[in-house]
Amino acid sequence: MIPLQISPFQYIVNGVVFSSIIVLAAIGLSLVYSIADFANFAHGDLMTVGAFSGLFSVAIFRPMLGDVGLFGLPLWFFLALAFGMVAAAVIAVVTDRIIYQPMEDSGSIGLLITSIGVALVYRASIFLSFGSDSERYGVARQGPIPWIRESFGVAITPRNFVVVILATVLVTGLHLTLTRTTLGRKMRATADNADLARVSGIRTDEVIIAMWLIGGALAAAGGVFLGLEELVRPRMGFDILLIVFAAVILGGIGSVYGAMLGGLVIGMVHELVPLFNQWGIIPVGSRYAAAVAFVIMVAILLVKPSGIVGESG
Amino acid sequence: MSNDGVYEGAHLDKDDPVLKTRGLEKAFGGLVATDDVSIEIERGTITGMIGPNGAGKSTLFNLISGFYEADAGSVFVNQTDVSDMTPPERAHEGLVRTFQTPRRLEGMSVREAMLVGPGPQTGESIFPLFFSADDVTREERANLEQAEELLERFEISHLIDQPSTDLSGGQLKLVELARAFTTNPDILLLDEPVAGVNPTLANDIKRFIRELNEEGQTFLIIEHDMPFIMDLADPIIVLDQGRVLMEGSPKEVRTDDRVIEAYLGGAGP
Amino acid sequence: MSVATWVNDTLVRDPTERRIFATLAIITALLVVGVFAGVIGPRFLLFQVALVGMYALLSLGLNVQWGYAGLINFSVAAFWGLGAYSAALLTAPNSPLGMGLHPIFGFLAAIVVSALVAILIGIPTLRLREDYLAIASLGLAEVIRLIILNERQWTAGSSGISGIPSLLEWLPLTSAATTASIVVVLLALTYLFLRRIHRSPWGRVLRTIRSDEDLAKALGKDTYRFKMQAFVVGSVVMAIAGAFYAHLNLYIDPSDLVPLTTFYIWIAVILGGTGSNRGAVVGAAVVIAIREGSRFLNDIAFIGNLGLDVAPLRLLFVGILIILIMRYRQDGLLPPKDELIWPSAQKESSAASRGAAASDGGVVTDGTTSGGPSDGGENQ
Repeated sequence: MIPLQISPFQYIVNGVVFSSIIVLAAIGLSLVYSIADFANFAHGDLMTVGAFSGLFSVAIFRPMLGDVGLFGLPLWFFLALAFGMVAAAVIAVVTDRIIYQPMEDSGSIGLLITSIGVALVYRASIFLSFGSDSERYGVARQGPIPWIRESFGVAITPRNFVVVILATVLVTGLHLTLTRTTLGRKMRATADNADLARVSGIRTDEVIIAMWLIGGALAAAGGVFLGLEELVRPRMGFDILLIVFAAVILGGIGSVYGAMLGGLVIGMVHELVPLFNQWGIIPVGSRYAAAVAFVIMVAILLVKPSGIVGESG
Repeated sequence: MSNDGVYEGAHLDKDDPVLKTRGLEKAFGGLVATDDVSIEIERGTITGMIGPNGAGKSTLFNLISGFYEADAGSVFVNQTDVSDMTPPERAHEGLVRTFQTPRRLEGMSVREAMLVGPGPQTGESIFPLFFSADDVTREERANLEQAEELLERFEISHLIDQPSTDLSGGQLKLVELARAFTTNPDILLLDEPVAGVNPTLANDIKRFIRELNEEGQTFLIIEHDMPFIMDLADPIIVLDQGRVLMEGSPKEVRTDDRVIEAYLGGAGP
Repeated sequence: MSVATWVNDTLVRDPTERRIFATLAIITALLVVGVFAGVIGPRFLLFQVALVGMYALLSLGLNVQWGYAGLINFSVAAFWGLGAYSAALLTAPNSPLGMGLHPIFGFLAAIVVSALVAILIGIPTLRLREDYLAIASLGLAEVIRLIILNERQWTAGSSGISGIPSLLEWLPLTSAATTASIVVVLLALTYLFLRRIHRSPWGRVLRTIRSDEDLAKALGKDTYRFKMQAFVVGSVVMAIAGAFYAHLNLYIDPSDLVPLTTFYIWIAVILGGTGSNRGAVVGAAVVIAIREGSRFLNDIAFIGNLGLDVAPLRLLFVGILIILIMRYRQDGLLPPKDELIWPSAQKESSAASRGAAASDGGVVTDGTTSGGPSDGGENQ
C-alpha cells in the first residue's frame, strides 16, 4: 500500500518512466493509423509479443553472457530487448503481408475488425507457448540509487534510468529518421495526407514496410520495458491498449509528434492519479487510473476531436 | 479591398437571390482555399462555376452546403442566414447538393435509393412505426409513386429494381439527380454532373437540367467539361486561387483575358 | 397466408438459403431424436436453447448497431453486464442493495441504465469517424468492469451476486423449460420489433448512413440522431439479454464480463450476415455450437492427452475465425435480402409475382411493368 509520506516528485518520476513506455507504443499505433489508415487493435498484443520474444531470448543470452553488466543492468537484457524488437518488427511485417495487404479493399473498418482477430491470435499464441502465468526477465532486484534518494527524497532505480534513456534514444532516432532521410520524409508525407501521397506515387511498399518495422520495434521496446518495470504477462499489451489509444487521440490521429506528446501527458496523468486523489482533485484512486485516461480521451473527443496538435474543426 | 483581381460585379445585389455568400474564407493549415468569396445566385438561373484545378470550387461547395466550417463569412439561403447550420439543416432550408464521386449505396436497390430523398418522413422516427402506421403507409405509397414518376421522367424506369452497386457511373449520376428532386430543393448544387459520363448520357443530363430549369428550378453547377457548361449555364462564375475572378455570360467569360490567363498560367487545363 | 407460403417467402428464397436452413433443420431433428433416445439430457438441451436465445438477442442488438448503421461497438459484453447487474442488484434479496424487487423492475432498470450509458458514450463519439466509437467502446467496457470489480459496497465486487430469483416459477414446467420458453418469447418479440423498425424509412436511412453518411446528410437526414437511436436500441437489446441471463444462471460475477463474449457476438453477426436479422439468429446458433462443441474437445482422449489448455485454443480459434470471415466471407451465411420499404406500402401486384420471385432470387424482371418488385413477395 502507499506509505503516507511519498514525495510528489516520486509520482512524477514514475510518470516519466510510464510515459516513456506509452510514448513508444503510441508512435507505432499512430504511424499505422495515419499511413495504413486503420485503428490497429492488435498493437497492444504486438507489445506483448515483443516482451515475450525478449523473454524467450533470455534463456539463450543469459547462459552465454553470464553476469556481464552495462549501466547497472546485465548485458543479456539489452540483447533480449534487441531480440524482442527485431522479432516484433518481423512479425508485424509478416502479419501485414499475409493478412492486411490482401484485404486492402475492405477499407479501414474491415481492417480494424480484422486486427481484433490478429490480436486474439497473437495472445492465444503466447498463452500456448508460455502459459498463462506472469513472468519476470530475472534481472536482479535493485534498490533506488542512494545519492538521489538522499539528496532529493525520491526513489529512482538504475532500470528506471535505462528505460527513460533508451526510450529517449529511440524517439530521437525516429525523429532523425523522419526528418533527415528520404524514407522518413516519404513516411511523413504519407501520414500527413495519404491521398495526396498516393497521387504523387509515394505510397510504396517501402513506406508500408518501414512503418510496420518501426511500429513493431518500438511497440516491442515498450513491451519489454513494461515487463521490466512490472511483470511479463500475456494480457499486458491488451490491458494497456486503451491508454495508448487515449494518447494517440489526445495527440491527434495522424500526427507522430502529437502521439509522443499525448503519450507523455497520458502516461504522466496515469501515474499522478493517486496524487491528484490525495490532493482532492479527483475522487478516485490508482485503481481507476485507466478510467481516468478514458475520461480524458472522451473529454478530448467532446472538445477538440482533432487532438491537441491537430488542426481545428 | 482593392480592386485588383476581384470582380466587383459579383457583389452587386440581385433582385431575389436564392443563395448568397458574403466574404467566405477557408484555409487549410495556412493554405488559403477560399478567399473572401461573395456570390449571389438568382432564382431561376443555371449558374455555372468553373476554374482551374485547385481554384477552390469543391471547397466552396463544401462551405456552402455546410460540410466544411468557414473560417469567416456567411451563407444565406432565401435570405435566411444558414451559416451556423449543419448540412441536414441547410438541406431543410432548400439547399441540396450532389457529390462529385457518389458512392454506391451498398445493398440498396434504385427504388430504395430514391426513397431516401424525401424528408422528413413520418416513418423516419421509431414511434410512428407502431402508433401511426397508417400515416407511414400513406406517405410511403406517395413517395414510391413520386420516385417512379421521377425515374420515368429521367428515362431510367427500367433501373428501379437494379442494385445500386450495379449501376454505371452515368446511371448513378442520373439516379442522384432524380433523387435530389424528391427533396424539392430551392437550389440544387451539382458537383460535376457529367464527369465520367458518356456523351449520350451527358446530353440527356443537359436536356433534363434545361427542362427542369424551364419549370423554375435553380441550379449551381461545377463542371470541368467546358462545352457542356458554356452551352448550359448563364451566368458563369470563374474562380481562381480561391477567389472570384469574374462573373458573366459564357461569351464574356470566353473572351476575358484574366480567365484565359488563369487557365493557361495555372496548374490545370 | 398459410404457414407454407410464409416459410417459403421468409426463410427460403434461394438454393443457398434452402441448404442452410435444411442443415439447421437436420441438426435440430438430430438433437430432438437424441433427447428421445436418451443420449442427450432434456435439461441440457433446454439450457442450450436458452443460451442460443440469449446469444441471438445479443447478436440482434449488435446487428442494429453494426448491421443497420455501421456502428462499431466493442462493449457488447459490458452492456450485457449492465443488464445482468441491474437485474441481479434489484431482485436478489442478498445483493448489496438487498431490495429483492420483482424481476420486472430488474428488466426496466436494465433498459434505463443501458440507454443512459449508450447515450453518454454516443454523445462524444457519434459525430466523429466510425473508429472513435470502436476505441471509446473498448474503454467503456474496461471502465464498467473496473467499477463493478471495485465498488464492492454496490456490486459485491468479485464475490458476485447469488440468490437471483428464477422467472415465472408458477408455470407448470421444469425450470429449464420455463427459461427456455421465456427466451423464445423474448427473442420472438425482439425479432418482430426489429423487423418492423428495420423495413421502414428509419431502417432505410440507417442503411444509407452505413454506405455514405455524407449523402444522407446532404439529403437532410440528421445522421447523428439516427445513429444515436440505433446505438441505444441495440444496447437496450443487449441489456435485456443480460437481465435474462441473470435469471437463467441465478448467479453473476465480474468474470462473466470478459471481452471474449463481445467477439463471439461479432462473429455471430458477421458470419450470419451483417445487416440481416435472420442471419444474426442463425449466427448466434452457430457460435454456440462452436463454443459448446469445443468444451468436449478435452473429453476426446487424444486431445486430452496432449495436455493442451482449451481456453487459449478457443481464443486462437476465435481470432482465426474473425480473420477468415473478414477476408473470405464478409457477406455471411444469410446476407440481407429485404428491400427496406414499408411492407404495407408495397404494391398489390407484387403478390402476383411472388411465385416467380421465389425461384429467381433477385434477378431483375422486365422493366416495362410499372416497377413490380422482383423480390417483393416477402414484403407482404
